[in-house]
Amino acid sequence: MMAHITWILPDGRQIAADVADGVNLMNAAAMANVPGIIGECGGCLSCATCHVYVDEAWQEKTGEADGTEDAMLDATDAPRRDSSRLSCQIVAGPALDGLVLHVPG
Amino acid sequence: MTVWTPMDDGFADLSSHDTFTSGAPHNTFARLRREDPLAWSDFPGGKGFWSVTRHADIMELNRDNKLLSSARGIRMEDQTYEEYLARRTFQETDPPEHTRVRTLVAKAFSKPVIALFEEQIRVLCDEILDQAFQSREMDAVKLIARQLPMRMLGRIIGTPEEDLDWLVEKGDALIANTDPDFTDHVLDKTDTDAYRFMPFRSPAGADLFDYAKRLMEDKRRRGDDSGVLSLITRPDAEGNVISETEFRNFFCLLVAAGNDTTRYSIAAGLHALAHQPGLLADLQSGDGGIWETMPDEVIRWASPAMYFRRTATRDFEMHGKQVREGDKVLFWFVSGNRDEAAFEDPMRVDFRRTPNRHLSFGQGGAHVCLGMWLARLEVRLLFQEFAKRVRTIEQTAPHSFLRSNFVGGIKSLPVRITLQ
Repeated sequence: MMAHITWILPDGRQIAADVADGVNLMNAAAMANVPGIIGECGGCLSCATCHVYVDEAWQEKTGEADGTEDAMLDATDAPRRDSSRLSCQIVAGPALDGLVLHVPG
Repeated sequence: MTVWTPMDDGFADLSSHDTFTSGAPHNTFARLRREDPLAWSDFPGGKGFWSVTRHADIMELNRDNKLLSSARGIRMEDQTYEEYLARRTFQETDPPEHTRVRTLVAKAFSKPVIALFEEQIRVLCDEILDQAFQSREMDAVKLIARQLPMRMLGRIIGTPEEDLDWLVEKGDALIANTDPDFTDHVLDKTDTDAYRFMPFRSPAGADLFDYAKRLMEDKRRRGDDSGVLSLITRPDAEGNVISETEFRNFFCLLVAAGNDTTRYSIAAGLHALAHQPGLLADLQSGDGGIWETMPDEVIRWASPAMYFRRTATRDFEMHGKQVREGDKVLFWFVSGNRDEAAFEDPMRVDFRRTPNRHLSFGQGGAHVCLGMWLARLEVRLLFQEFAKRVRTIEQTAPHSFLRSNFVGGIKSLPVRITLQ
């Protein structure tokens, strides 16, 4: 199964990809060449370089950051917002088909 | 620029510190990537080890800290469990233990917080170059590359300027514990048994510890809770405080890691400027975009932390080889950074290389360099100020490399410069 994911860049450009269930969205962004999502630590919660803002309509489905992710969100480059997540901690699945993420400027 | 390593016939001994006194053995790494990507080496100092040399393999394995653990040592040398306990830092732990310490200091080293140092660093670069350029001929490592990370370290830790030389001398003795230029207690040549519970098996660890304790007591007395050290000595959410040993080891890690890696990156960058025509002109072209990409290229080219080791937690097979539980596995970042499959023309310095998925910071795993934003910023600002002033740079005598199979770099680089 695939989930359709859209990244909206700071300049308004959009990149979309169909992401296989179980793949985290930092890896998905790297595969889709989404600029601004780096993922230096490979998804180990050590770097905070895969920061995204979850589109308002989707925040309930993606849930909130907790634990280590919550702590690491204090170390992002762009300012933290209520909608902030580290995309390595969001995993594609049927519930997220159509998800829209905003890449911080 | 091609790197000619005449000592390297493609079969260099990776366990020998002497191998690296002519620079990293790139012919050997190229052969291993091509023919034997998971290669076994015997090690006269203890158990043998596996070498992972391909970029893609390092990326894949580095992520898997359940299979390949940092918690049994991160250097080639074997440690007893007692030595490990006495000397470990959070570098030598796995998640979630690693994560607990990492999150304490992550914000202090995050990109926006580090960016606040920009003007301070630029002023330091100015002072350093003013001083270095009093003469037109100099050792560029001693007078430029060594100076900036040393002085920044002082700012980050909060030490008085007059202590910096001493501090860096001790830091050198720790990390360059295999080079007689930097220590009297050369690891593989003298009996260091008495220091086996000290960081880096070096007496400098004890000196640094005493210093760190005094520094913290002074700060406490003055009610000064600024700086990175205060972050890790504060009780965490559950009220836990780190032990004296943990504090000592963290301090030694900062002094060692915050110092030589950036130094050898700057040194490699200056060496490249002196040898690859067009690089300096490229920096002076007026195209600001180059400063976004050049620090990572300098750091890829330098690869100062040449490897880190992991230990297999269970048997596994790869490239037709059988790795056993307890085997040491080394990720040779310096080889991944020259991998033809990951980089176009990897033996050339290209300040505009993008993307540049180098591994110098241990990318792809939990232990990715805490100081990477500081390193990038220091490299950018130093070369920005350098490019504003210098018209030509040429090397005047042979350079020499650190004697170490762990940290790679040019330790002296005699150059002549002309100014704009």
